[in-house]
Amino acid sequence: MIVAESRPNPNPSPATAAQTQLADVWRVVVLNDPVNLMSYVVMVLKKVFGFDEMKARRHMLEVHEQGRSIIWAGVREQAEAYVFTLQQWHLNAVIEAE
Amino acid sequence: MKRVEVKLNLEAVAPLLDAIKEAADDLRPELALSTHAPDADKEFADGWKQELLAGQNTDIGAFLALFDSEFFTTGVLPLDPTNSEAILRACAAVRLRLHAKHLAPLGDEALESGEVPLDEMPEPQRRAFAAYVFLATLQELIVQHLDPTVME
Repeated sequence: MIVAESRPNPNPSPATAAQTQLADVWRVVVLNDPVNLMSYVVMVLKKVFGFDEMKARRHMLEVHEQGRSIIWAGVREQAEAYVFTLQQWHLNAVIEAE
Repeated sequence: MKRVEVKLNLEAVAPLLDAIKEAADDLRPELALSTHAPDADKEFADGWKQELLAGQNTDIGAFLALFDSEFFTTGVLPLDPTNSEAILRACAAVRLRLHAKHLAPLGDEALESGEVPLDEMPEPQRRAFAAYVFLATLQELIVQHLDPTVME
């Protein structure tokens, strides 16, 4: 599993701190893009999250057909690390409060 | 993944390198996909973007390094576990840029099916499309070698 090991970690802004207090669980969401290949997206999801083939394909198809898929949910710090890694692979990934 | 040597037709690929290098130049100061850092704090967002940009430039540098004088002699691209992931990411970045700059007006369905009006396309767009398809083929090849269980 690849996660970002080094990235900026400044103090959160007051707004972010407030949001963090309100939401304990954060979602990693991948949004559709018209360019990246399906096989590439599947490979990235397997590599980053350790998904098996079936689970990675299910998420890829959800992104392709519905425009977005919730890939992971958990603590904010880990969600940020996943989003950063997905963006390194040029996937359109965002973090959302649950 | 073992070391793989991909033999390319130099006459076919060399003209595409102009489009690829132009896209790579465009990407030096900006990300292929505009992203939003998860924190609105400006310092955080700037650091986030700069780190992504540094990684993108490293990947693209590794990719362009494949097209050296030896490539223009042999037509061979050497792929191995040390460079394949960077090349995959670089191909994705360049394809995103080619799409944004030249190909978006063609429509996603046409691009996905490959049914584009080649004869009516201006030369820069035709060349960008050929590079876009070439990079996709290279990505498919690498994905298959990195992870043979992935099927399209």
